[in-house]
Amino acid sequence: MKKRAFTTITALGLTAVMLAGCGSSSSSGDTAKNDNTAEETTDSSAEMTDEERIISAAQEGKVGNWGLGNEYEIQALLTKYGQSTDYLVEDFTMDGFDDDSITLASAMTYNELGLVKNDYEGGYGYGDSVGIIDMNDEGVAMLEDNLFCTKEFAEANPNTVKAFVAASLKGWEYACENPEEAAQIVYEAGSSVSSDHQAYMASEVKKLVETDMNGNTVTEIGKMDEDAMQQTLDLAKQYIKLDDSAAAAKLQTLTLDDIRDTSYWEAATAGDFGTPEKTDIKVQMKWLPQCQFMGYYVAKAKGFYDEVGLNVDIISGGGDIGETTAVQNGTVDFGVTWVSNLISADAAGMDLVEVAQIYQRSGLVLVYKK
Amino acid sequence: MSEKALKRKKIDFNSVSSVLYPVLFGILIFVLWECGVLNTVLKTDTNILPAPTRIAGIMSENSSKISENLSATMTVIIWGLIAGSFLGYMAAVFATRFPNFGKGALTVLSVFNAIPIVALAPVFNNWTKDVSSEASVRSTVAKILVVTVVCAASMSINAYRGLTELKPFSLDLMKSYAADNMTVFKKLRFHNSIPYIFTALKVSVPSSVITALVSEYFAEYRMGIGRQIRDNISIAQYSAGWAYIAVACLIGILMYIILIIFEGIFTKRHRK
Amino acid sequence: MSVLKRLSKSKYFNTVLWIVILIIVWEIGATVVAATKRSPENILPHLSGIIESVVSKDTINGSQTAVQMVLENAKATISRALVGFGIGTALGFVLALFMSRFKTVEKIAFPYLMIIQMIPILGMAPLIFAITQDISKSRIIIAAILTFYPVATNTLAGFKAVEKEKHELMISYAASKFQLYTKTMIPSCIPYFFTGLKISAPMAITASILVDTLQGGIGLGCLLSQALKGAMSRYVFWQIVFLSAFIGIFSFLLMGIIEYILCPYKRKGNKQEE
Repeated sequence: MKKRAFTTITALGLTAVMLAGCGSSSSSGDTAKNDNTAEETTDSSAEMTDEERIISAAQEGKVGNWGLGNEYEIQALLTKYGQSTDYLVEDFTMDGFDDDSITLASAMTYNELGLVKNDYEGGYGYGDSVGIIDMNDEGVAMLEDNLFCTKEFAEANPNTVKAFVAASLKGWEYACENPEEAAQIVYEAGSSVSSDHQAYMASEVKKLVETDMNGNTVTEIGKMDEDAMQQTLDLAKQYIKLDDSAAAAKLQTLTLDDIRDTSYWEAATAGDFGTPEKTDIKVQMKWLPQCQFMGYYVAKAKGFYDEVGLNVDIISGGGDIGETTAVQNGTVDFGVTWVSNLISADAAGMDLVEVAQIYQRSGLVLVYKK
Repeated sequence: MSEKALKRKKIDFNSVSSVLYPVLFGILIFVLWECGVLNTVLKTDTNILPAPTRIAGIMSENSSKISENLSATMTVIIWGLIAGSFLGYMAAVFATRFPNFGKGALTVLSVFNAIPIVALAPVFNNWTKDVSSEASVRSTVAKILVVTVVCAASMSINAYRGLTELKPFSLDLMKSYAADNMTVFKKLRFHNSIPYIFTALKVSVPSSVITALVSEYFAEYRMGIGRQIRDNISIAQYSAGWAYIAVACLIGILMYIILIIFEGIFTKRHRK
Repeated sequence: MSVLKRLSKSKYFNTVLWIVILIIVWEIGATVVAATKRSPENILPHLSGIIESVVSKDTINGSQTAVQMVLENAKATISRALVGFGIGTALGFVLALFMSRFKTVEKIAFPYLMIIQMIPILGMAPLIFAITQDISKSRIIIAAILTFYPVATNTLAGFKAVEKEKHELMISYAASKFQLYTKTMIPSCIPYFFTGLKISAPMAITASILVDTLQGGIGLGCLLSQALKGAMSRYVFWQIVFLSAFIGIFSFLLMGIIEYILCPYKRKGNKQEE
């Protein structure tokens, strides 16, 4: 009885092996081959220029990005070097980079790059053996984290918007002056990311808030730089591909005035606003609770929102219901998103407007093993 | 003769009404949707729920892109469904043959089924990295494996029921004929399990579609209806997103209709 | 009595045997991965590593250890799954009842029930989110939607499978519709109903985890994506994988136990097979 059972198991097991991929037998050969080529490229890549690196990775089909509206800068870069705009999907881990199935991987300076380099919890520990290609240097940078709401909300609650912007900017200012304290605040506010990584992230985010695309220092936090905004919009028009022809047509007609309104930021920085119309406010982050959004967490923890009479609830993101949708359907009042995502949402018929631009330069880089 | 005719008439009415009623209901929904009544009821604007004609318009504009993605998704669904159902049925046969030991096989399958797709997909992505150096191939294999796992469990549970819950005394009768296990399986158990196979498929067809779509969200290679849905929805392109959702629904409906037709054919033959 | 004892004994033995087989297969895989990959814990860690992470006292987010964090999030997910499962089951049963009672309802509703299952949650979620204006209500509703279909199909199949003779017998007794249902239809569809429950109970868990990923907050799904996306020990991810499998299996077994308690004829049936 038992012997029979075991033969059946072996039979089942064999089927499972067959199901698991007829490739497994040939795969060992494949990996061996890959290892060889990897070694060869590591030898020669020391002298490779960024351009050569981009071209070779693109032609092997080993450029990675997350997609979902994060890909436009990479596509602009690939186009710049005459390559096709296809990329492999990174599944939010850097495992693909780690196992060499992606040789040129997208990473945010403040997040994934830190994980790749550092060897704290969750890190990959590559240290200085990796190099980066910076979107700002390549001239394909697009602006990222901003602060937005719907036009309808802004018109109905101008003082709330101004007060919220003012208090948030104060939070950002404080966070950039005291990145370590900010990291601790975010860590305690329910981050499930290690404190080491939060500290790293705070120091990197500070650079994005205080430096513009050309590397100049920015003193006015949250300002909407005309040139950078225009560059973002131009690249968005070129690389956001929409299947809905009506939305695609609308995208091409968008101007800066459709997507941002500087008046709230100007009033906020001048301290020129009255009592908020709406005081219970929800703000949706673009991602998980982390120092990417430290300004808001700091403003809440330090009581900056209370000072202007706002009771603010920070909703963390990272889910499939985007921040643009949540703001548009009124479940939250403000949101943090990338400018390109706001542009595509407005193209689709949403009614969103940017009221402050926190990040002054692109935080996106391509990382490669030297 | 007259009784037969009556029966035929009844069947005709039945089959006509079972098509007509849902179609009429569908038309009603369609009209309400198109006129925006549905939007009012659901308290959503036309961004998040666009009118059906607009969705159809986008579908026809992008027909070639849709068909490319569709074939990728269908590959995953079909192979996953076949592999999963086969595996599930085999496990059920195994469990019938070795009641004590084999039941463990059912448990093992349901263990895998109990792991959420969102966790399975990244795991299978990593596990299939060595299957091929082509990202499109290995990511298809990973997706098929996820669908396989999901389909196997429902088939194994149902098929096991079908193989063991026999008509009273039928097994005794077979035993009195001194029929061996193979004969019992062929003559009795297999036939008894056919309706249960279809019950299982009625669950696993919809879930294989959903699973294929969800596993595409995480797949390395950017292809498939599910991927398009997620791409569009995360950049707030609900109209285009709904176009792909409609395609996904059509896949499900068509597969279900095919399943019903097969069920009709097989259960009829089985009755004879 | 002795038969029952033997059965339980051998069942216990068999379960252990299967667990051992699985562990061996896993460990072989883990050893191969450990030898060939740079970051084996991301692909297939040794079970000892996972167990180590469970008992480890290192805090992940300042206040909680990995296992505390996982359990806290699991609590939120399970409670949502329970409510969703409850609603889904009730809905599925009532629908099946209606569909078997009124042919027209079946004809109209059945195809659409299936279509609703086909709509990817991603498309449905913003709609439900907009209606409820509350992410946790949306999560419960979506979990219910995803679970009621197996219950409805299986129960309906059960109603249909009531043997004609029984049905006619009841009618010849001049039984009322109500009696027909309470005395014949419902009792005989119970096994099918439980088949549906056994499928949908783990589904409620997986669905609940899936809908967690719709927005941030607390829940196994949220933590799962954080464990992949953020700087967190990958073992948190593996803990969640194992825990969710365990919860799923447990929910499946629980349905079996409830069925065993509620349906004495099942026990008889089992003995006959012996």
